[in-house]
Amino acid sequence: MLDLNQRSKSLSNWWTAGTMAAAVALLAASPAQAKTLGFVLTIWNIAQVETKFIDECPEGFNIGYDELWWRGLSKDDRAKYTDNGLRTRLDRYFNAIRRGPNKEDVCMNPTAVAAPPHLLVEGKQSYGLNLDGDTEGKAGANSCAHENFEGVDGTKGVDNQMYRLLGCVYGFRSYGQFEVNANENRKSNGNGMTLFEITNVDDVKNDPDVTVNIYRAIDPYTLDGAGQFTPWASYRIDAPDGKPRYKTTLKGRIENGVVLTEAGDSNVPFYGNYTYMNQLIRDMRVRLEISDDGASAKGMLAGYYDVDQLLFYVTGLGPIQSTAISDCPAIHNAAYKVADGYPDPNTGKCTSLSSAFNFKAVAAFIVHPKKEVESASAGK
Amino acid sequence: MLKRVVIASFATLTLAACGEPEPVVKGAAPMLRLHTEAQYRNAIADVFGTQVVVGGSFDPLIRTNGLLTVGSAAGAITPAGLEQYDRRARTIAAQVVSEVNRDVLIPCTPADAKRADAACAAEFFSRVGKFLYRRPLTDLELKTPVTVAGEIAATTGSFYSGISAGLSGMLVSPAFLFAIETTETDSGGKPRLDAYSKASRLSFLLWNSGPDEPLMAAAESGAIHTDKAVAAQVDRMLTSPKVEAGLRAFFNDMLAFDEFAKIEKDSIIYPSFSLAVAEDSREQTLRTILDVVFTNNGDYRDIFTTRKTFMSGPLGRIYRIPVDRPDGGWMPYEFPENDPRAGLLTHVSFAALYSHPGRSSPTIRGRAIRESLLCQRVPDPPGDVDFSLFNDPNSPNKTARDRLTAHSVEPACAGCHKLTDPVGLAMEQIDGAGQYRTEESGVTIDPSGDLDGVAYTDAKGLGVAMSRNPAVPACVVNRLYSYATNKAPERDERDFMAYLEKDFADNGYRLTRLLRTIATSNALFTVTPAPQQTAAVTN
Repeated sequence: MLDLNQRSKSLSNWWTAGTMAAAVALLAASPAQAKTLGFVLTIWNIAQVETKFIDECPEGFNIGYDELWWRGLSKDDRAKYTDNGLRTRLDRYFNAIRRGPNKEDVCMNPTAVAAPPHLLVEGKQSYGLNLDGDTEGKAGANSCAHENFEGVDGTKGVDNQMYRLLGCVYGFRSYGQFEVNANENRKSNGNGMTLFEITNVDDVKNDPDVTVNIYRAIDPYTLDGAGQFTPWASYRIDAPDGKPRYKTTLKGRIENGVVLTEAGDSNVPFYGNYTYMNQLIRDMRVRLEISDDGASAKGMLAGYYDVDQLLFYVTGLGPIQSTAISDCPAIHNAAYKVADGYPDPNTGKCTSLSSAFNFKAVAAFIVHPKKEVESASAGK
Repeated sequence: MLKRVVIASFATLTLAACGEPEPVVKGAAPMLRLHTEAQYRNAIADVFGTQVVVGGSFDPLIRTNGLLTVGSAAGAITPAGLEQYDRRARTIAAQVVSEVNRDVLIPCTPADAKRADAACAAEFFSRVGKFLYRRPLTDLELKTPVTVAGEIAATTGSFYSGISAGLSGMLVSPAFLFAIETTETDSGGKPRLDAYSKASRLSFLLWNSGPDEPLMAAAESGAIHTDKAVAAQVDRMLTSPKVEAGLRAFFNDMLAFDEFAKIEKDSIIYPSFSLAVAEDSREQTLRTILDVVFTNNGDYRDIFTTRKTFMSGPLGRIYRIPVDRPDGGWMPYEFPENDPRAGLLTHVSFAALYSHPGRSSPTIRGRAIRESLLCQRVPDPPGDVDFSLFNDPNSPNKTARDRLTAHSVEPACAGCHKLTDPVGLAMEQIDGAGQYRTEESGVTIDPSGDLDGVAYTDAKGLGVAMSRNPAVPACVVNRLYSYATNKAPERDERDFMAYLEKDFADNGYRLTRLLRTIATSNALFTVTPAPQQTAAVTN
């Protein structure tokens, strides 16, 4: 059973949080001495290689909806709708976004206008994994032909078409408004809280068989006086009537202190830019590197991200686009072109984007419902 | 919630107390003391309900004989403090007469809300005045607010503005702000506290608040001058939920937990420590103590060894314990048997309060143990202490024990440090924010030592040593009697203190028993006359 006594020997042991989390979880079925680790995700970003001089985007960043709208105006209309240039981009958003021929909101109706050009990443390196097993960019049984990246660690055949699509959109850079805002949203309102629970851990350095569970929490972050994430706080699983609303279970292993999972269809909760999502990520694999003191972790997860799901998010970004500089029709059109995973059996066109996300986390106690009911399986 | 399961045994315990006659004490002059902040707040809540908010800050009191309550006997109101009381009084009065509250808090309706109504005003002031002043008002005391209310109503065209003005005046009256005891002579010509003063002593001891209606009735009829009536009142009062508030106030005072209002931690060194942690740590310890001594009517000494406590979300981060209600609320928690924590000396509250903002302090902790829990006096340090050895981040002395050893070779320092440091060093495995650790600066901490010849290996062991130390129960007896009488025990009260200590020990160190013994004792009410003071107050 659980080794609560270890706590008295050294609280600096980094598996302690998980041990105690398991105590709450009442893991009666846990094998003797097995431990549990818990983490709450704090920072989540689309994994992007961002060079200092934006070499990966040789033609610069994409222009946004505001500039596209402005370019289409007559001189008189420019003066009229921008109050002779005095109205801010945010103030004129509701005019600018309705640039459809019949004043359609082009985020809600991205096909109402001819697709503007969209600049893709031309860099050779990317974060991510070789999801399709191919290193030459050929189509496979479950993928469409696409250009591969080389991993930042030299891995060949890395697939990350989401980076190719969004890497030259200012707002999706790690310092862009979409990414920063999403993380700040979560930090301030505690929505879309993601928990990682690693169970069945016999050896925190090397263990061939562990289980990684992903849940959503109902408790917001605990922050210190400087607004930083505080480790070792308790988070309850979002589990109405004892049934976790989000649960993904992946088999995994630990190699030299790094948790690595096998691929599996996953549901990863998300909240950012005023949008909730149940992110379906197919063939998802997780890499989690835990700090020596066990108080924090950083990691990457990679898998196939549904195009429609991404566009649901992009088209709902609203006035934030005014500072993030993006354009819905441009992304919409390009997304389907660069999609490389899960071809539609009828059309043969791919419906998913290979993707990778970097994240950070701090140690957490994951509090299970007193009577936990088996949740729906992931991947739905 | 705490359960009150202990009161039923009081009647039986009363008989046991009859074994030995109570030593006679000389007594002291009747008290005139400033009410503490908690007593002020309780009085307002008792009279007007908790919906009336009491804001602002109160002037600090001087801790005397380990208690602010004793220091309140020397409490004074500064001009700035009086302004605060005045502002507070006006705010309270405005809330009482507000449209939301007036129908509930004012027992009558004026004939015309735009005019004065002396009869309604008198009914209100006589009713609330009795509980604010803890005795019936004199004719003059009633006439004054009624007159003020009438004049203000005439000026403003509002009966309720008049009531507000009259009530504001009562709330800054010395009769409300101070506990003013008066004496009279009994049938044998000896001085005694008058009935209402007696009632107040009882209620402030047991509830940290003023008398309620039945106690006032016992005072009004004079029944309170009989031992039987006092015992009956005490037994009744001990069944009230207010006892918990009374005991809480006592321990808050005894442990100097009012200092939490000033606690500061370096957020760079202790990022997990927050205001919520500070508040909850205080609450945790008070809950734990009350659980032992009140809910379970257990042995007082168990507060030093109990593994049972309560946990909240903010505290869970410090203790590194999962909590099932991280969004608020408390859950019972029991430290595992071989956990290094047990008893209040291992709580975050004690460790964090008695530390520096950026590091622990065996000396401050040791002094707190000696003074607050063992009632021993530790002299203040000299003004020219050289702290450079402690503050040097490159000191070769890595642990507090090393640094203190180097420091206490100074003869001028050694005496006191020998008193404080051995016990304080026992707590070194708990850092200045209350977090457990085994090392300091990469060096293993040695928390072993001895308390008055009883060896221990860590803070938990120190708790066991404390629980067996005869000075511990003697100290709480001293403090509770001081708390009851608002003064340190006098030399002539030694026999009475010994009587209390024996009674406490004979009854399993049950604090509720001690509380009752004091509350029903003659010593609590014995006074010497102070006729001049009495006359001055009456007028």
